[in-house]
Amino acid sequence: MPIQQERDQVVALTIRFSSSVYNLDTIKKAAYRFTDRCSFDFSREGEDILCRLVPKPNVAITDHPALVAEFKNEVLDQDLRRTIADETAPVRNAILAYAFSKTGLQDDE
Amino acid sequence: MSKFQQVTTYEESLSDGYKLLPFNFTRLDGEDYVVTNQAGESLTLDKPTLYDFAKHKLSWTAPSYNALKSKHFLVDSDSNVAIDLLTLKVRTKFSRVADFTSLHIFVATLRCEHSCPYCQVSRQSDDRQAFDMSPETAEKALAMVFRSPSPAIKIEFQGGESMLNFDLVRQIVERAEEINIVEQRDLQFVIATNLAVVSDDILNYCKDHGILVSTSLDGPADVHNKNRPRPGKDSYERAVAGIQRAREVLGRDRVSALMTTTKLSLDRGRDIIDEYVRQGFSGIFLRPLSPYGFAVKTKSYDAYDVEEWLRFYFDGLDYILDLNRQGLFFVEQYASLILSKMLTPFETGYVDLRSPAGIGIGAIVYNYDGDVYASDESRMLAEMNDKTFKLGNVHSNTWEEIMSSDALLDPLEQSYTGSVPMCSDCAFEPFCGADPVFHHATQGDMVGNKPSSAFCTRNMAIFRRLIKQLRDEPDVRSIYMRWLKA
Amino acid sequence: MLTLGGSNLQFQNIPEETPPFVTLLTENKDLPRALRAQRTFLAHSLPIPDGFDTYVVFQRDGEVVAALPESARAVVLPDSYDYLADGDILRVAPNRKAIRALYRRNSQHNFLLMTERCNNYCLMCSQPPKQIDDSWIVEEILQVLPLIDRGTPEIGFTGGEPTLLGDDFIRILQACKSWLPDTSVHILSNGRRFADFSFSEKYASIDHPDMMVGIPIYSDISNLHDYVVQADGAFDETIRGILNLKRLRQKVEIRVVLHKQTYERLPQLAEFIARNLLFVDQVVLMGLEMTGFTKANLEDLWIDPYDYRDQLRDAVQHLTAHRMNVSIYNHQLCLLYPELWPFARKSISDWKNEYMPECEGCSKRDECGGFFSSAKLRYSEHIKPFGSSALTAPV
Repeated sequence: MPIQQERDQVVALTIRFSSSVYNLDTIKKAAYRFTDRCSFDFSREGEDILCRLVPKPNVAITDHPALVAEFKNEVLDQDLRRTIADETAPVRNAILAYAFSKTGLQDDE
Repeated sequence: MSKFQQVTTYEESLSDGYKLLPFNFTRLDGEDYVVTNQAGESLTLDKPTLYDFAKHKLSWTAPSYNALKSKHFLVDSDSNVAIDLLTLKVRTKFSRVADFTSLHIFVATLRCEHSCPYCQVSRQSDDRQAFDMSPETAEKALAMVFRSPSPAIKIEFQGGESMLNFDLVRQIVERAEEINIVEQRDLQFVIATNLAVVSDDILNYCKDHGILVSTSLDGPADVHNKNRPRPGKDSYERAVAGIQRAREVLGRDRVSALMTTTKLSLDRGRDIIDEYVRQGFSGIFLRPLSPYGFAVKTKSYDAYDVEEWLRFYFDGLDYILDLNRQGLFFVEQYASLILSKMLTPFETGYVDLRSPAGIGIGAIVYNYDGDVYASDESRMLAEMNDKTFKLGNVHSNTWEEIMSSDALLDPLEQSYTGSVPMCSDCAFEPFCGADPVFHHATQGDMVGNKPSSAFCTRNMAIFRRLIKQLRDEPDVRSIYMRWLKA
Repeated sequence: MLTLGGSNLQFQNIPEETPPFVTLLTENKDLPRALRAQRTFLAHSLPIPDGFDTYVVFQRDGEVVAALPESARAVVLPDSYDYLADGDILRVAPNRKAIRALYRRNSQHNFLLMTERCNNYCLMCSQPPKQIDDSWIVEEILQVLPLIDRGTPEIGFTGGEPTLLGDDFIRILQACKSWLPDTSVHILSNGRRFADFSFSEKYASIDHPDMMVGIPIYSDISNLHDYVVQADGAFDETIRGILNLKRLRQKVEIRVVLHKQTYERLPQLAEFIARNLLFVDQVVLMGLEMTGFTKANLEDLWIDPYDYRDQLRDAVQHLTAHRMNVSIYNHQLCLLYPELWPFARKSISDWKNEYMPECEGCSKRDECGGFFSSAKLRYSEHIKPFGSSALTAPV
């Protein structure tokens, strides 16, 4: 995931994700958690997803590397969440359905 | 006699692996994460263990395996009662939702002789006609109260200063008691009052009808009087004297106090707590400032940010823990509520930290003019000309129209933490709540952007602190366990 | 330790081929004649009233033995049976010249054994199971129940596993309700049969005013519980049984026997109970009895209770923080932290209750439950009397 810094008026950092490893929803969900500290743009380049991250003024330049590292970790975490959610969604829904139903839990009813 | 089997006989199926049960995880600190399930049970795991666990690589001999199994984060081929038990726990957690509205707030009058800068209601003096609730309005509102199926009904009198319209309070109490002869609910009354105008007659009436008194005590005299000006500048003296008198007549457990936090309070946390200790209270609720009513008009809300408040709160909490170590049983009530949600299967009665939100379906407000609001904060917003959360009027709408209005159902549905961004995969979600009114007021959006939400920042910091203390400090854990019984 | 039964006793005028029978003892010389044919007279002195079905006398009372009518059926007992009293119920087995005290009116701990069969095989079982047909016990119990004094506060049913009796289990409890409507009933069961909801419904339909099942859970982890009870799948059935009973609003007590295989996760078990089974009526934490299978598995089971005092305290504190009713059985006060003393009960059945030499002079002897008689085999090294210059409480 190479990073580029644009020498604009605005300091922006672009992170490249391979879409064979992460899907766009995962990256967006991770990005959402940082919307108090950055704004984001997304685009595609071939197989890659480009995530352009613009830290807000309240983040010191010296903190930018830590911010990017944290964001990348969050993408990993968010990816894990997706795996867990996929595996457990049926049980999760069944539990909620039973919890709110009027009937009992055992099969012999 | 048959042979006894070794423990390994019963472990054979464990190496078949395990299935995941639904859970969320959030980073706690450093390399540690907290995981929670739908019933609100929690564990802390380090990152490698979390990832191994989620990827089915955790061995049944690993130290965390049994904890994950016992608390229903995984199910293996040795046992299949986990889902039944989880379902029961989730059902218990949500059982209060079915009870429906239990807190019914009656605004008896807007009149008040105090002029507190943070007051969330405009106060007008003297014009009874315009600003008192009428008997007809009260009667209509009471009919709605008992439409709620809740087995416990608490009627709370607010204002202004509700004791200024005590005749109406009497009417409502007696009429409610009359209706309750048939209804047979667990009926309770509370009157929120500054106690500045209390009389023996009023106190005796409260005693006769079991009415609890809830008053304001913002701290020692200088803090309290600065926060709560009145003609005579003696709000503190009157409050303290009133508390004493009320206790004598009603009983010591029937009088409670609430503080409101202002910029002034932030540096005086320990003094405020000491005041509560001195006045013989067994706990204090360290509240944040709300962004409604006069607070916004007088800019009291911008005056400090969440970080400053958190410093005040954690210093207060530390101080209270010290008091407990010194042998005084004294509870910080917000922490106590959260600990209850963390450590027991039950949801608490506190309507402001619930999901689905407690608006309307947990608590409801009948204003002096018959307007019905989803919460006290909704009423305060209306005073600032934002009637988003006005549900109707007792004179022109039926109970069904009010409880099924879009004004109520939309925010309930949209703000439900189980489905909104960030909350739905947050490990703290079982302990937290939805506050569509707050987010609408501060961000213009009922769902709220949680990364920039003061509500979220504040609560997450408190959850993290409590979980770390429960994990790392056994003596604090013991103190917190004692608070559960309070 | 009381001798509750024995064989090869001195019988008079009771032919060996006479079938076993149960009989109610009386010391009332003036019992109406119409009842005497159904009763056994317990004679300690002269004169001996006539007309009773059977007489029980003591060897040491020579002149009483001599005064027995020629043809009277009698049992002549050694001193070890001199606790017998009016209102007690005996089983008499003429083929072995045996008697057994089935019920003692003075006792606070009357238990009726329903069967010795069991579908668990606990490492520490104090009543080791036997795979035999002991269904004759059902009829005997049904004969005993009407003889029990209806002022008895509580009667217990135990085994083996009582629910293995199926419909007879229900029958007996129904009879108990009919004959002893004011007596509380306490059943000891592994709870597994109650996983069958229709069985639980039958149990619930007895509609007894005061009936409770005591069900053991030994771990929060299914495979560890199954190991202790030596039955795969027992944990799940037991939990489901408890859930069914509670859905039918029946009273349930959870029992935990504390030993080397259960003490380590005791705090976690307490948490598990508080989270998942908060609705049970009480939790009982019990000391190990040195009898039955415990002797065979002693090395795997023995731990000095003093060494698990921390886990015990944590568990009790956790349960009481959640407002559950907790009792501690079979632990001596000197082995418990003082804050646990309010939870300790004098729980050991009178007939097997004793004190050790180390208890000499202890000021808390009367409050303390003491020991099982079987504890002589092995007991804590930390027993010390209170009120001496030695230790007063664990540190």
